[in-house]
Amino acid sequence: MAKRRVVITGATRGIGKVLAEHYLAAGDEVVGCGRTPSALSHPQYTHRCVDVTVAKEVDQLFEEVRARFVKLDVLINNAGTASMNSLALTPFESAQRIVDTNLLATFAFTKAAVRLMRGSGTARIVNLTSVAVPLRLEGEAIYAASKSAVETFTKVAAKELGPLGITCNAVGPSPIDTGLIAGVPAAKLQAMIAAQAVRRWAVPEDVVNVVDFFLRPESSMITGQVIYLGGAG
Amino acid sequence: MMSNAPEPANRVLSDDAILEVVLGAMRTLNLARDAGAQLVVAPDAIVFGPGSPLDSLGLLNLLLDLEEDLQRAGCHVVLSDDRAMSQKRSPFRSVASLVEYVGQISRA
Repeated sequence: MAKRRVVITGATRGIGKVLAEHYLAAGDEVVGCGRTPSALSHPQYTHRCVDVTVAKEVDQLFEEVRARFVKLDVLINNAGTASMNSLALTPFESAQRIVDTNLLATFAFTKAAVRLMRGSGTARIVNLTSVAVPLRLEGEAIYAASKSAVETFTKVAAKELGPLGITCNAVGPSPIDTGLIAGVPAAKLQAMIAAQAVRRWAVPEDVVNVVDFFLRPESSMITGQVIYLGGAG
Repeated sequence: MMSNAPEPANRVLSDDAILEVVLGAMRTLNLARDAGAQLVVAPDAIVFGPGSPLDSLGLLNLLLDLEEDLQRAGCHVVLSDDRAMSQKRSPFRSVASLVEYVGQISRA
């Protein structure tokens, strides 16, 4: 397979870091970004410290991506944040941060990426959603609502970008032991897993598997789709 | 913050220079369009809306081509506007309004 040019948000740790390592191992060139520096060192990896909620920083990142890659084949909108809390006790600022990071950053990166993806032929955008959407997870009202918006965004983007040769899909992980669920009570996580068709913790490699499927050249007819891990939904 | 990404220098182009880039982008777009769907390439031509064969996808492709051409000329702008698809108020409705719009945002 030809070397792909990949941008991954939230690449410093967790699922994003595993995705970056996976595509580097496959021979791809990867630009990752996150709020903090990365420990990942690879000749084909470039990491930039970016606040994904600041449009100007996103634009600057893509200027650099344009200079480095000219064209872009893959965008993985992985950066995300959550805040386990009753909606009645959630500060407005926390809700704003969740929507900015999960939804508006996905929009900003997609908008910028489209400009570099035209003409790629096999361009792919993959967004991260969550089983919190189909499970209507109590305590995650804003998080689940933001991910629900990401799913709708994914489906509309698929329609708008299809004629440009770009597919857009989403993967919704079930609970994975990453920092994102640090604030979720253990009993709640166990209840979520017990409600799944496949009753085990997911691992980042389960997400990689779905992303790989979306990225395959043979998946050019797969767009506007959401796949949840574990049989949720 | 970005650790070492250089911020591109933005060159402000004259209206005549912008006009040439716009007309060039329209000529390029025409190369990929059917003979019956050619855009009129002229300073007083309609671009989008009544009287133009350009649909929303065609407009998107034209604007993205135009962004790239402007960047090659040193002018780094993003052509997005809430009024883009408006039949009456779109800054992209004519060559003249498009040139004026690019001039405005490049000087902002």
